[in-house]
Amino acid sequence: MIKLSINGTERSFEGDEEMPLLWHLREEAGLTGTKFGCGIGQCGACTVHVDGEAIRSCSVPMASLNGAAITTIEGLADGDNLHPVQEAWIEEDVPQCGYCQAGQIMATVAFLKDTPNPTDEDINNGITNICRCGTYYRIRKAIKRAAENMQTA
Amino acid sequence: MTELSRRNFIKSSTAFAGFAVVVSNTPALLAAEQSSHSGIGTCMRFGEDGLPVLCVPTPDMGQGMMTTAAQIIAEELDLDLSAVSVEFLPFVGVINDDGIAQDGELVQGAGGSHSTMDLWPALRKTSAYVRALFIEAASQKWGVPATRLSTAGGFVIDQKANEKISFGELAELAQTVTVDKKAAQPKSISSFRVVGKDAKNVAARDIVTGKPVFASDVSVPGMLHAAIRRCPHLNGTIVSYDSTKIEMMPGVRAVVKMDQFLEDDQTFRVIADGVAVVADTYWQARQAADALEIKWNGDISKDDSTDLILKKCNALLKDGEFKQVQKRGDIETAFKAASQTIDVTYTHPSWAHACIEPHNCIADVKTDSAEIWVGHQTMAAPANIAKKFAGIDAAKVTGHFYRMGTGFGRKYVQDFVAEAVVLSKRMKAPVKVTWSREDEMEQDYPNHMGAYRVRAAIDSKGDLSGWHIKTALDTGRDWVARDFPAHTLENTLGEFAKVPNHISHGAWRGPSHNSGAWVVQSALNEAAHAAGRDPLEFLVALYNKTGTVKAPNWPNMDIDFRRHAALLEKVATEAGYGKKMPTGWGQGIAVHYTFVSACAHVVDLEMIGDNNYRVHKVTSAIDCGLAVNPLGVRAQVESGIMDGLCTAKYGNFVFENGVPTTNNFDSYLKMRIDEAPAVVDIHIMDFGDTDPRGTGEISLPPLIPALTNAIFAASGKRVRKLPISENL
Repeated sequence: MIKLSINGTERSFEGDEEMPLLWHLREEAGLTGTKFGCGIGQCGACTVHVDGEAIRSCSVPMASLNGAAITTIEGLADGDNLHPVQEAWIEEDVPQCGYCQAGQIMATVAFLKDTPNPTDEDINNGITNICRCGTYYRIRKAIKRAAENMQTA
Repeated sequence: MTELSRRNFIKSSTAFAGFAVVVSNTPALLAAEQSSHSGIGTCMRFGEDGLPVLCVPTPDMGQGMMTTAAQIIAEELDLDLSAVSVEFLPFVGVINDDGIAQDGELVQGAGGSHSTMDLWPALRKTSAYVRALFIEAASQKWGVPATRLSTAGGFVIDQKANEKISFGELAELAQTVTVDKKAAQPKSISSFRVVGKDAKNVAARDIVTGKPVFASDVSVPGMLHAAIRRCPHLNGTIVSYDSTKIEMMPGVRAVVKMDQFLEDDQTFRVIADGVAVVADTYWQARQAADALEIKWNGDISKDDSTDLILKKCNALLKDGEFKQVQKRGDIETAFKAASQTIDVTYTHPSWAHACIEPHNCIADVKTDSAEIWVGHQTMAAPANIAKKFAGIDAAKVTGHFYRMGTGFGRKYVQDFVAEAVVLSKRMKAPVKVTWSREDEMEQDYPNHMGAYRVRAAIDSKGDLSGWHIKTALDTGRDWVARDFPAHTLENTLGEFAKVPNHISHGAWRGPSHNSGAWVVQSALNEAAHAAGRDPLEFLVALYNKTGTVKAPNWPNMDIDFRRHAALLEKVATEAGYGKKMPTGWGQGIAVHYTFVSACAHVVDLEMIGDNNYRVHKVTSAIDCGLAVNPLGVRAQVESGIMDGLCTAKYGNFVFENGVPTTNNFDSYLKMRIDEAPAVVDIHIMDFGDTDPRGTGEISLPPLIPALTNAIFAASGKRVRKLPISENL
């Protein structure tokens, strides 16, 4: 049996341990904010945090998650108070279709923990999620805005 | 359009006795009372909290229609966008005499960048009419003349009596009063408070908090999951499969043969020959489907290889037979009199849609009705698909519509809905079909590929005097051979030929324009250089001389090519076009109209070695008529820029012996943030239009030639074959 916590709630899992975390989140935990995009860890639409680190949940089997603490997009805000990265995404009007943005936000939150004051080059190296709408220009602005807001907060 | 003598309205999901009216753009008004939408008019209803909910008739796939339509409604109803919620309207069209569901006055589809243009008259009039109903209701309630009442912030206001009453309190009464529909006129442009102002995506908070806003997020009780193995060979078939091993796998309920369904004279694929595995969960269905052993027959398409098709296209250009699709004046006289000529050939491969949300659909087909949960570019489509594939009366189909994780023209097609309908009927249960990324690419309806030969004549004054274009494509799309400058210059010849193949093509963001603009704007750039003229000055002179032509599909709209000149001058000024740049840097300029809107770009880039480059800045100017949401227009221009940069550099959807082999993001590459320019400077032009034109597909086509022209300026290398990453 796999025991893990998702957004602070303890859960146990007894199914196919080869199943990627993504499908546990979407189909069993009812957390559909995390998206399926490619299934091979390329696009990042499925990005969540495992023990604080951004990972691509389509490529992480349940077997590797015993004792892990998972945070998904649904667990990022504190009640009605959005995370500064979510706020920045709204303020910069980033989302177009919106499908990849949960993954982009989760990737950014983890990125800013390690790189609180990122340069363009840091962003280029640190954010690798695909956005098919091409919101990259606004994502870059939102990352910088979030970084600024988090430093002055 | 078919004459609608029988107007049955489709039942909506929120069906109960209601009242809806669409105020037509034409004098004929649609019969209102038959619609089952429960709102006050089709444009709004009240939520359980009594607050207004704006109902958007058109799908949103990222092009921002949910926000744009909400602005139009909010404008006419004097509502504050921040004080309302917004949802999609169910399908409220009609069933014609042939039993086919189709749009009524409100167009409920998204394609061809038409949505805002389509909605603008009908939605404004409908919303203005609803506002008049509230005023009339208040007038009756207070016993005062309607003429002294006004509306603001969701209230009817009687300034004289210093009274106000909320729309919500008037809801019941408003459904019983009548007003002269002709008298309920939309506002004048000068009084707009919401339209023409920046509005952020109304779904943004739901999106950034991970709310279930996509069809793929939906579950319905008793739902089964299907994963489908489809023949990877174009129009190929199954020889045999052995399901004995997988039938015992966990959760598997059924293994269902999916029969190939082709249309358009048995060439266009709607359902691929395949096998569906239906299971309790998607993971179980996927695992079992992947384990299934299938023997395919792909003989039919064994010659459909990208390399071979492009070779055939290029061979045709040398000595093949072509059909004349445009002819003006005498092209050979122009070439005889020419002081300079160019003769150049351009080639590009197919592009895949790569919709970020892989296709999915839930269907629940019952004996004589059906429900469908989907994100689709045409809201009439699910009803017609259920009719076609399960024999359900289109009027008995309820559609539930969601945002699409991009569409680009791909989610216009029937296949993913048809599969869910077929499987639900078979399983007698709700079935959710979820495509993998590989499915999405292998079964794409891609953009065309082909080769284009352009001969251009330049006269003694250095002006373009003759244009001879031959296009050899894998589709029947002859647009680029017929259109600018083939349809405006004095001496032109446009010729077209098609290489037969088994690819089912689809609409891909800016169909025909997407690569056609690259061909035309590259050749014009080459012609300018041959004439010894600066490309900007050459283009401005050409467009100013061209004047105005009627837009073929929009009878009330013109293409005024002098606007192209103005767009070029604007981007040139804003970008400092022609400024001195370091060695290895360059600027490229291009302009193009797609449908009835136009966009110009200047791309600033720096070469990285001989074979790579970095785009530092893109400066753009768009003519999209009246910009309902300038912030959204800029988003769409940005989107087209990024898609254009990405497609030009990496877009190469490869067929090998009839099999698409670039089937995920490790082989069909997409640009990421590291290659996106950090500076994008967009200017929305105001030519005094009082109506909107399109936006979603407009900025991509001219981006590609602006990029390749910049590469030429920076390196002297002329890109005549895409993708750039494989040909520089």
